[in-house]
This record gives sequence, structure tokens and C-alpha cells, in this order.
Amino acid sequence: MNDTQLITRVVAGDAAAERELYEMYVDRIYRLAFRLAGDDELARDFTQATFIRAFEKIGSFRGESSLSTWLHSIGVSVALNGLRKTKRQRSREAPMEEGLTVGSTRIEADPDLKERLARAIDSLADKYRTVFVMHDVEGYTHEEISGTLNIPIGTSKSHLFQARSKLRVALADFAPEWVS
Amino acid sequence: MTEDNFEEFLKKAAQSYNAPPARTPRDDMWSAIQAQRAAGPRVIYGGGSLAAQTPARRFGSRIWIGAAAAAILLLATGVGLGRWSARANTASAIAAVGGSKSGASNVAAGETQTVPGGSETVAGPQTGGGGREPSPPREQSRTGGVRRPGALDGTEGMVAVTAPSNSTSSPTGNSAYQLTTVRHLSEAEALLTSFRTRTTADQQMDAQLGSWARQLLSNTRLLLDSPVAKDPQRRPLLEDLELVLVQIVQLSPGSTPQDREMIEKTLQQDHVMTRLRTAIPAGSQRGS
Repeated sequence: MNDTQLITRVVAGDAAAERELYEMYVDRIYRLAFRLAGDDELARDFTQATFIRAFEKIGSFRGESSLSTWLHSIGVSVALNGLRKTKRQRSREAPMEEGLTVGSTRIEADPDLKERLARAIDSLADKYRTVFVMHDVEGYTHEEISGTLNIPIGTSKSHLFQARSKLRVALADFAPEWVS
Repeated sequence: MTEDNFEEFLKKAAQSYNAPPARTPRDDMWSAIQAQRAAGPRVIYGGGSLAAQTPARRFGSRIWIGAAAAAILLLATGVGLGRWSARANTASAIAAVGGSKSGASNVAAGETQTVPGGSETVAGPQTGGGGREPSPPREQSRTGGVRRPGALDGTEGMVAVTAPSNSTSSPTGNSAYQLTTVRHLSEAEALLTSFRTRTTADQQMDAQLGSWARQLLSNTRLLLDSPVAKDPQRRPLLEDLELVLVQIVQLSPGSTPQDREMIEKTLQQDHVMTRLRTAIPAGSQRGS
């Protein structure tokens, strides 16, 4: 069954089709939501809201993009708006400047690479962080990111470049590890 | 080379960033989705559960429905008030037209009667002959003789006064009476000034003044029977003016200088001229 047939059944009110659509995409939606939120409760809420909204609006889906892109577009929008509204960013969130300062005194500040990287990613702007998470962490292509975020592919690549550049500066103290 | 190494290093290290659990809680989330869709609630992020809330869209719809209902109610009220006031105005206008026509016909017929709506017509050719009887004691004290109201038959220039019983509360009615009174007092002042400045031997002038005074006397009596006479300052003035006018009218061509002195004495004692000029507002046309 292709997306069109599945959508037709969902629009017709077929509960089994709804569950099928859910099963097809829930893993990726949930994983992306978790990556962006960093919290299981938030990730669940975002995922549920994504599918609820998708079921409500699927009648207006015109097939201009793939169903996956459309769903991910809803998911990212829900997650980013939810994070902004609830302001429940994780406690480790810190401004980029702090990461840079800490990076200059590697040993005394924070020897844990994972923690340093997490802080650095969290301190990125939403547009950079989203592209970075989708591309470098979850493996989405620039085409998928472009469709999901409704931005040109070049913009997606630019955002990824900016994100990497900032992270490279933030993780400068760990340069020996990737040079070697 | 270094750049490629960094990208690989970053991708590998970033896998630990917000790493999701290995197993997606599919069933839990699906149950929550079904429950939320059945109840129509709204997601509260971070609560870990789906709490029921009124959807913003429904709230907005209620606001719009309420606003529309209020607008319709306001519009209906406005239309109703407009129709009601228009009907009331039309009715009063019809009544006024009917009343004025009736009053006019009554004046033409020389009758004095009460018309529907409380309008009292107190005008007519017979006014001087019985429409109003002045109080004999006052006249006798002033003139020393019996006044002869029935002797006045002049109707030229007579003012027809239609006096509604409640006209004192009507601004329009008051304005009309005030205007008429002022014009009358101005003309009376002109007459009295001409009388005081005339030459004693001019009998032709006496005849003209007599005719003029007769006309003013009729109008003075009409005003005394109008709402103007309710004014505590105007009524004494009109009464004194009436007395003087009667004396002037009664002057015969062969009257003696003593008769004229009596009139002049009345004018001086009662300060008629001064009161007349005081009663006439500044800027109004005198002697018209």
C-alpha cells in the first residue's frame, strides 16, 4: 500500500489505516522529538501531538511533498514550538560563549567530551541545531531537511556548516582526538 | 583531511546527544493519542500525560459566536429604537398639524374653544368685545372711569395666539411667544414715544395714534391671555401698557390737554417707558 492509498483510507476514517500510518513513522518521529527535546516526556508529548495534528489535517494533505516529509514537518514544528512554550530546556543548556570559555581551559573546566558536546549543541540557535541534529545525528538528507523545514537545500547546507563551525570552536580542546 | 576527520568525529560523538531509548513506546503513545482524540483535549507539553483542555479553536469560535450575537442584538435594538422614535415623531407631527388646522379654523370662525390635545384658542375678532373682560376695579383705580372693552372693534393686525396648556415647557412655543412679545413691546414703545413727542394741536396725528393704539391694545389683550402673561414681570407691564393704550384710544379729537397730561402722568408714575425698554432685549428691532 502506497502513501496515497493509506491517506485515502485514513481520510475515510479507517482506524486500521491510522494505526498503520502511525506504525510506519512513529519511530522516526519519536527519535527526532527526543533528540530535540532530550526528555522522554516531552518527546512523547511531541510525538502524540504530531500524530493527532496529522490525523486532523490529513484531509488537507495535497501530496506536494511525501507523507514522511509532511509528518516530519509537523513533528519539528510541534517540537520547536513546544520547547519554546514550555521553556523546559535542560539544565545543561548554556550560552555558546560559556562553552567557548570553558573550551579554552579544557582540563579544569570539563573533561567530559559528551557533556561538552551536548552543551555546545544546546547552545546553538534552533535553526542550526535542528539541521545538525537531523543531518549529523539522525542521518536525514539535505533534501529531507529542506522539505521538512521548508527551506532551500543550500540554506540547509549553510546551517549545517555554521553549526559545525561553532561546534568545532567549542570543541577545540579536543582537536587532537579527531586529528589523530 | 582534518575537516573530514572532524565531521566523522562529530557525528560519532553526537550520537550520544539526547540519545533516545532503544525501544519506542509505541503502544503507550498510541493509547494516549486515541484517548486524546476521543476526548478532544489539548496537549500540555512536559506533563507526561494528556490533560484535557479547551481547544483554542473552540474558544475562539465561542468568542466569535458571542460577538456575532452581541452585534445582532445591538443592531436589532437600534433598529427597534429607530422605528419606535420615527413612529412617535410621525404621530406627534400629525397631531400638531391637525391641531394647528383646527386652531386656524377656530380663529377664522371667531370662536374660542378648547381643541383636542389641550390647545386653547384665545383669538378672534370678538376678543375685544367679550373675549376677555379686564378687571374693573383696577381700571377704575387707574382711569377713574369705567372701561369700555366692547367699544374696540378693530381687528387689523391682530395676533392669533394658540396657547397649548403645556406650551410653557415647549422651547419652540416659548420662543414664538417671546419673539411676538418683544416685537409687540417694541412697537408699543414706538407708539408711546411718538405720543410723547407729538405737537398738542395736531389732531391728525392724534387720529393716527388712536388707530395705532387700538391695534396694539388688541394684541396686548391677546398676550395677556397667552402663556406670556404667566411671566410675573411681563404681566404687570402688559397690564399697564393696556391701560395706557386704552387712554390713548379714548382720546377724542377734541380732548383737552388735561386728558393728555393724565396719560403722561400714568406713563411717568408706572415707569412704563423704562420698563418697556428694559423688557426689550438689546439688538432687537424696535418699532417694527
